[in-house]
Amino acid sequence: MFLHNFIYELKTAIRTKDLVIWLIVFPIALGAFFKVAFHGLYEKETLFSTVDVAVVDEADDSSFRAVADNITSGDEPLLNVSYADREKAMELLKNGDVSGVIFTGNELSLSVTGNGLDEEILKTFVEQYNFRSRIIGKSAECGGAEAAQKAAEALTREVTSVERIPLTDGNTNNLIQYFYNLLGMVAMFGSTTGLHITKVNQANISALGARKCCSPTPKSVSLAASLTASYLIQTVCMLLSVSFIAFILRVDLGSSLSVVYFTSVLAGTVGVSLGFFLGSIGALSEKAKESISVSVSLLLCFCSGLMIANMRTVFDRKLPWFNRINPAAVISDSYYALNIYSGDNSRYFRNIITMAVITVAFALLGFALTRRKKYASL
Amino acid sequence: MDTPVVKIDNLVKRYGELIALDHLSLEIKEGEVFGLLGPNGSGKTTTINCLLSLLSFDKGSISIFGKEMTPVSYDIKKDIGMIMQNVAVFDELTVYENIDYFCGLYITDKTKRRTLVDEAVKFVGLEDFVKFYPKKLSGGLLRRLNIACGIAHKPRLIILDEPTVAVDPQSRNRILEGIQELNREGATVIYTSHYMEEVEQICTRIAIMDKGKKIAEGTKDELKRMIKNTETVSIDVIGLEDETVSAIAGLPHVYDCNYDGKKITVYCSGGKHNLIRILSELQKRDIGFGRVYTELPTLNDVFLEITGTALRDKEE
Repeated sequence: MFLHNFIYELKTAIRTKDLVIWLIVFPIALGAFFKVAFHGLYEKETLFSTVDVAVVDEADDSSFRAVADNITSGDEPLLNVSYADREKAMELLKNGDVSGVIFTGNELSLSVTGNGLDEEILKTFVEQYNFRSRIIGKSAECGGAEAAQKAAEALTREVTSVERIPLTDGNTNNLIQYFYNLLGMVAMFGSTTGLHITKVNQANISALGARKCCSPTPKSVSLAASLTASYLIQTVCMLLSVSFIAFILRVDLGSSLSVVYFTSVLAGTVGVSLGFFLGSIGALSEKAKESISVSVSLLLCFCSGLMIANMRTVFDRKLPWFNRINPAAVISDSYYALNIYSGDNSRYFRNIITMAVITVAFALLGFALTRRKKYASL
Repeated sequence: MDTPVVKIDNLVKRYGELIALDHLSLEIKEGEVFGLLGPNGSGKTTTINCLLSLLSFDKGSISIFGKEMTPVSYDIKKDIGMIMQNVAVFDELTVYENIDYFCGLYITDKTKRRTLVDEAVKFVGLEDFVKFYPKKLSGGLLRRLNIACGIAHKPRLIILDEPTVAVDPQSRNRILEGIQELNREGATVIYTSHYMEEVEQICTRIAIMDKGKKIAEGTKDELKRMIKNTETVSIDVIGLEDETVSAIAGLPHVYDCNYDGKKITVYCSGGKHNLIRILSELQKRDIGFGRVYTELPTLNDVFLEITGTALRDKEE
């Protein structure tokens, strides 16, 4: 009986258009949109790109060449230097192949055509080089080669009174939160599959429910099969969403993808249980319950900042307990804690435990309410 | 004495102040096609829902196959087939899958189930539509699918709650013939409807309900014998004088007579030659007449005489 119900629950779920749209198409479409929309922003904010520059070394400046060799090497070189004669260098600049042309001489001079970030970097580099050259030159005039050597060492040494300790090994890019929010919303949309369970099992909601209640299949078996199938469907949808974001869109979801998968699966079960519980309350019509479920899910998402980021802060200030039990907030905070506090897992574990408790509590409450044997009215 | 298949004793169901079932008692014997006839809101569906333990009730008792019916009476439920008033099938499953699913709630053996599903498909004539989804079916075919889902497991007791609502005449006839066939195969049938013609056509015994009460019960002949009217004669005739109308009203076995200027309607109770006597009265006075027709009493007449309201008027 269980297996029979389970298999047909899966069949109906897979063929339900709303479910496919909200749990599969929606995250794929919105995730792709985020990727396209944030692509330029992300590159500029997080990834430093090497600045292409042409150098006209008519003075044959060995000091500059030594510095240039230094800053064009390494994992993240500041400049990509091309040596050329004056005519060729200006042609490269004109064609946009380089962002500027540096001329050697008594002091470095710079020729640029734009005023963007690359040009600012070149300008700063040239100014710093000239400034330091002047100091080293003055030192040599006053104290000879030894003084110049000391000055050069002093200028290149990094002196700081604070130690820089990275907060996280995770992805600190703010934009990643949008993808976490997207996963959170997909998890909350699981409430629609949860609601479907009550629809097909309660005689006072649908004719289908009434027909099932007339059969000799115990309601507990039927409910267990429906709930298991819904959890499985939601799990697959969550895994698909995470995989799409991580592997197709190539978004860095943090230090440990396997834990992101686990979190997403658990988050999905929270959504299903929430829908199951909401569908079990009261003797309202199918449409009314659908409206309530969607409204509650959206409201919880709104309060948790999944729609407007500042709302999270507002609720944390005014009603700090609320988002501790708000499933949407707990889900989004799990991703946040997972990524940002990767060294300290206590916040993440607290959220995971809360999610597990919410899942079990809602499922048990739903069972208790749905297993009512007779109805006062149909 | 045979144990009735269904026994409802003194059933009372209230919705707040409204009494939906008012001390209803019924006994349905094995092999019967039992009709529950009454206008909308008379309590037919409430009776069925209480019978199936879907609805709670305030007073009374229900037993099926000699055992008390409760929501966990799974041994009783396995022998009941329910066909709902509203079509109850999954839009996401094909015709075959729907029947297989509902049959599978009763029959666990896959091989046996496959045979039963094939038989049910054939029985309702949906062989050409097994791979269709319900949304692609016409209203009549959908009703047939609804029936197949309810009877595929070959139940001993089949309950049909207004299965022909919004069905075309062809499908309706097919459904009614099917119900009679199921009955011939041994199933006891409970059939609710507000279409008296259907109930007259297929039911061996009928209970007429109104305002939650059973107002009459018996075979259709027994019910018709309960009322005064045995024959209604109508004659199209123009310009009858009051004297003639009075003369007809005074004929033996005539208990009422109406004349509207175009047609005289004469209600008779008993007697064998009422029509001849009425026509003789007109001929004696040399009065010409048009169409003449005579009607035997219907269940609507039974309902009318007992409640003072026609069944059809109530529907309107």
